[in-house]
Amino acid sequence: MQIPAPFDYARASSVDDALALLERHGPESLIVAGGHSLLPMMKLRLARPEWLIDINDLFELDFIVRDGDRLRVGAMTRHTTLFESDEVRRLFPIITDAERTIADPVVRNRGTIGGSLCQADPAEDLSTVCIVLGAEAVIRGTAGERVVSMAEFHVGPYETSVAHNELLVEVRLPIRPRSGSAYEKVERRVGDWAVAAAGASVSLAEDGTIDHVAIGLTAIGLDGTVTEAEAMLHGKAPSEELFVEAGRLAALACDPLADQRGAIDYKRHLADELTRRVLRRASSRAAEAQEG
Amino acid sequence: MRFEVNGEPVDAEPHPGQVLRSLLRELDHFEVKKGCDSGDCGACSVLLDGAPIHSCIYPAHRLEGAAVTTVAGLGTPEHPHPLQESFVAAGGFQCGFCTAGLIVTASTFTEDDRHDLPRLLKGNLCRCTGYRSIEDAIRGVANTEAAPTGDLTGRSVAPPAALRVVTGTEGYTLDLRTTGLLHLAVLGSPHAHARIVYLDTSAAEAMDGVHAVLTYRDSPATLFSTGRHEQRTDDPDDTLVLDPVLRFHGQRVAAVVADSVAIAERALAAIHVGYDLLPAVWDPEEARSPGAPLLHATKGPESRIADPARNTVAEFHRETGDVEAALATADAVVTGTWRTQRVNHAALETHATRGWLDADGRLVLRTSSQVPFLVRDELCHIFGLDTDRVRVFTARVGGGFGGKQELLTEDLVTLAVLRTGRAVQYEFTREDEFRTAPPRHPMRVTVTLGASRDGVLTAMAVDELADTGAYGNHGIGVMYHSIHESTSVYRCPNKRVDAQSVYTNNLPSGAFRGYGLGQVIFAVESAMDELARTLGIDPFELRRRNVIVPGDPMIVADADERTDLLIGSYGLDQCLDLAEAALARGNGVGAPTGDTWAVGTGMGIAMIATVPPRGHFADTSVSLLDDGRFEVNVGTAEFGNGTTTVHAQFVATALNTTVDRVVILQSDTDVARYDTGAFGSAGVVVAGKALLAASGKLRERMLARAASLGYLGGVVEGGGVRAGDILVPAEKLLAAGPLIADGSHDGTPRSVAFNVHAFRVAVDRATGEVRILQSIQAADAGTVLNPEQLRGQIEGGTAQAIGTSLYEELRLDNEGTVTTAAFRNYHVPQFADIPHTEVYFASTHDPFGPHGAKSMSEAPYNPVAPALANAVRDALGIRPFELPMSRDRVWRLGE
Ligand SMILES: Cc1cc2nc3c(=O)[nH]c(=O)nc-3n(C[C@H](O)[C@H](O)[C@H](O)COP(=O)(O)OP(=O)(O)OC[C@H]3O[C@@H](n4cnc5c(N)ncnc54)[C@H](O)[C@@H]3O)c2cc1C
Ligand code: FES
Ligand code: FES
Repeated sequence: MQIPAPFDYARASSVDDALALLERHGPESLIVAGGHSLLPMMKLRLARPEWLIDINDLFELDFIVRDGDRLRVGAMTRHTTLFESDEVRRLFPIITDAERTIADPVVRNRGTIGGSLCQADPAEDLSTVCIVLGAEAVIRGTAGERVVSMAEFHVGPYETSVAHNELLVEVRLPIRPRSGSAYEKVERRVGDWAVAAAGASVSLAEDGTIDHVAIGLTAIGLDGTVTEAEAMLHGKAPSEELFVEAGRLAALACDPLADQRGAIDYKRHLADELTRRVLRRASSRAAEAQEG
Repeated sequence: MRFEVNGEPVDAEPHPGQVLRSLLRELDHFEVKKGCDSGDCGACSVLLDGAPIHSCIYPAHRLEGAAVTTVAGLGTPEHPHPLQESFVAAGGFQCGFCTAGLIVTASTFTEDDRHDLPRLLKGNLCRCTGYRSIEDAIRGVANTEAAPTGDLTGRSVAPPAALRVVTGTEGYTLDLRTTGLLHLAVLGSPHAHARIVYLDTSAAEAMDGVHAVLTYRDSPATLFSTGRHEQRTDDPDDTLVLDPVLRFHGQRVAAVVADSVAIAERALAAIHVGYDLLPAVWDPEEARSPGAPLLHATKGPESRIADPARNTVAEFHRETGDVEAALATADAVVTGTWRTQRVNHAALETHATRGWLDADGRLVLRTSSQVPFLVRDELCHIFGLDTDRVRVFTARVGGGFGGKQELLTEDLVTLAVLRTGRAVQYEFTREDEFRTAPPRHPMRVTVTLGASRDGVLTAMAVDELADTGAYGNHGIGVMYHSIHESTSVYRCPNKRVDAQSVYTNNLPSGAFRGYGLGQVIFAVESAMDELARTLGIDPFELRRRNVIVPGDPMIVADADERTDLLIGSYGLDQCLDLAEAALARGNGVGAPTGDTWAVGTGMGIAMIATVPPRGHFADTSVSLLDDGRFEVNVGTAEFGNGTTTVHAQFVATALNTTVDRVVILQSDTDVARYDTGAFGSAGVVVAGKALLAASGKLRERMLARAASLGYLGGVVEGGGVRAGDILVPAEKLLAAGPLIADGSHDGTPRSVAFNVHAFRVAVDRATGEVRILQSIQAADAGTVLNPEQLRGQIEGGTAQAIGTSLYEELRLDNEGTVTTAAFRNYHVPQFADIPHTEVYFASTHDPFGPHGAKSMSEAPYNPVAPALANAVRDALGIRPFELPMSRDRVWRLGE
């Protein structure tokens, strides 16, 4: 299959225009952002839209701004922009860690955070990152705007709560004091989709104990976060023994499938190993933030 | 819609659903290549308003007002871009199919970016080079000379096509416009074993834009094999162009010929097929056992299948001496069973053929093949055509590695052209490559070795089971070759070899770099390593005590066998010394920090014949042109193996000119008399030797002609003859008639080449990651004709073997369906995955090869996997028995 099925094409000039176009062309129309997930899917006949609504011109959705205690990221923000942003690196090193591993620079020049989240591929790295950071998704329809948590946003593999006539316009990331975060991925080779990956965010209380923690896993069958491990860590001072226990709990919590990327026991082992590593790194980054 | 391509305004309306890549090619921008069409390989990269994009996943509709720059817009052969010049100077390509995309991507790099190449080049795959020369190109390192004068033996001359390749002006198979072209698409079998009982194509035929639907009812009844060799009887006749019985998932059921691929694909969906499901077998052990479903039971002796009643396409059982007795008295015995996987060639240019009828009604095929003459001859056999009614030729071929020693697209195109009278193209998608192109034969190999305390081999037993899949293409040859140089490199009085190649309902296996040797060498060299450990002898030393030396016979398991294979020159001893010394020297690269990492070293050796057995022929000619250039007619194809460069060096040296004065016409059944083909590493040693003879003869004829004109005692110079102070120009010499000379070679006797590889690795017990700290290969290729090209072949072979060793595996589900049908799932190594390999050459001179050279194109692949496995064993204390040593497997070993 080398050519996508035929489709028609419209370029949206504004968010409202995009919404109107979606409304007009009905359920057979789809948004195209970078197109780096959608076009391959269309070539494999996994998606067969009759209309493509192109939102590439919506520069108003390409922004990173700090707004009080949250960072607002527009849905059309490209991977490259996220990767190169100093503010992002300082506030959410987990994003920089993840972006470093996503695809290749050429794909990153086009692919967007909105497209990544809406694609909801179980191996998509930014989905995990947003879950771990407790992000909120801002979704707009003709009727107005709604703000949902990542748990509400993410319905299942390749499925989100963004209705066909809605747009994801923005992702909001809460900024917590004394925080650190980290992401680590095991690939079969450099730049590949994850065999497994883990992300963690840790915020410390003034006394150095863990005030807030979130742990997420990529590509190994866990929606949401590793709540058992989070509960166990809460209120305690970070330590290697706790990380080991958290790793064990993460391995129990995930539900991987065996495929060409590895067998189930290997992936469970990675959940364990990677959880320990990201907790270690996130905690030390949080401690630095505390000192700094 | 208006936009700009390379500064030229364009006004074009994309079709619904069109991506930029196909629109650009429709506009004759053939420099934009297709490697995958899914954003994974980078071959299609172009600049869009200055930023690189993968044009295959970029909607063409978005172009309004944009400026597109392709590699041809960066520079031309007359005025190349500095980066294009660097790619020529560095020798930064082999087949060159990845080059356009790489240059486009790298043209945006800043000085700083050069420190970050592994990350920045993640999206650009190269299957040929192993990336070192690409890195050199980007860093501005020069490794080649353009057109030096004098004796060119041992000089790193740049390929004659270099400037065209780097500027995107060299044509590959589909890089030409053909008006009125029809496209062919194929319906693949949804079942691994079934008989077609009902087939209704009427709805498909009735569709607008459909010109023909081809089914088994249209197929010639002649059985053939897709695998091609000099002797057509070397492969079993077990295949039909279209067969009512389907023996693997994805096998052709029907083909549609239509105005576009999209129409053809829609028509495929309108074909109604009823299948009678037959029992299937996927495990080769089961397939050879009594009661297994049989794949080719009804075929008779004329098909040359060893035993259709046991699904056996070939087998070999032989013993010399008494292995059991020797094992019983050996001081040390080691044994193990090793398994290897299916590996896809992943040449960046997929298989493709375009065919048409010329003005005389002759069938013409432009195809991506290593063997145009063998393709022509077999098509004539299948379709009952005269050889002078068929012309088969290749343009530059975008990678082969054995995968294009196979007739996969030409037969259907022939059928379609003969049926419609129109020009027809059949282009494999990347998915077709993975699902249906024959991969490396998977094997299970058991090796048992016995030795005396002082490390002298006393017994060797090898038992091989190969899965040839649904058809026997290359099954026989791969099996015989696999057990040959892998075992005969060792002197051992008691040897037994059992081998069997069996049919299964898996996709057919085929020919791949090394032709089966790599699989068996993996087992034998792993076993030798185990023996070295058991005896406490250094692995280099154990090899020295047991390898053959000049004067020794090469014995598989039949001491009386006589062949034309001889040790023409011997450099294995030097290779062992060179690799051992380099490993001892180290390279200063340390292991990553952390207590989960373990470090180890390992090595392996390989021997390979320089020419395939049973005849390999090349008929060549060289003629003098009016302007003093020389025209060479040679049949062998150029697909990145560099033979064209070496041929130009030979002719230029013999005729005292420069390579830019040598015009090579090649791989066309109309321009050369015959060439068996570019496989079995034969391009330099067979066709090259023929050319040496032809050039020598032409030199004599030129001198004789000059003498007849009264210029005595001359020398050939500047495309004419110099006698004293007078230069007799070509024109004058040619006034008395053409000057042309033939040269032929029959590929016998044959010699052997040697390779030794060594690694130092770090292994992470926690994740199973294997990190190569040092990689070394020493090679005995006789006289080194072109050091840079030879180094490139060794690096490229090593990179492919690292892919086989660590990453690549074509996987099938339990119903024989390929589940790794895209680069997303099938991991061809990237820039960042491949370390630099230190390359060393032994110094020998082979009396059978041209100027003392031996071939070195398949060879470098063979010793790599065992060397790496032995290093992992050394690091972890546990031996890997299975390829690839993927992270999950290595983790399990170290657990
Ligand atoms: C070769 C390659 C390698 C890759 N490797 C990785 C990897 O390692 N890790 C990883 O995480 N990702 C990887 N990706 C995926 C890449 O990150 C995504 O393609 C990209 O981020 C998706 O964004 P896009 O803008 O291209 O989305 P598109 O393809 O344009 O859209 C994806 C889906 O989201 C919908 N959509 C997009 N934007 C919106 C919106 N604002 N509102 C509503 N719906 C919307 C579309 O309708 C479509 O269904 C890879 C991609 C490629 C091609
Ligand atoms: S052809 Fe576009 S990335 Fe491979
Ligand atoms: S030279 Fe890179 S793919 Fe052949």
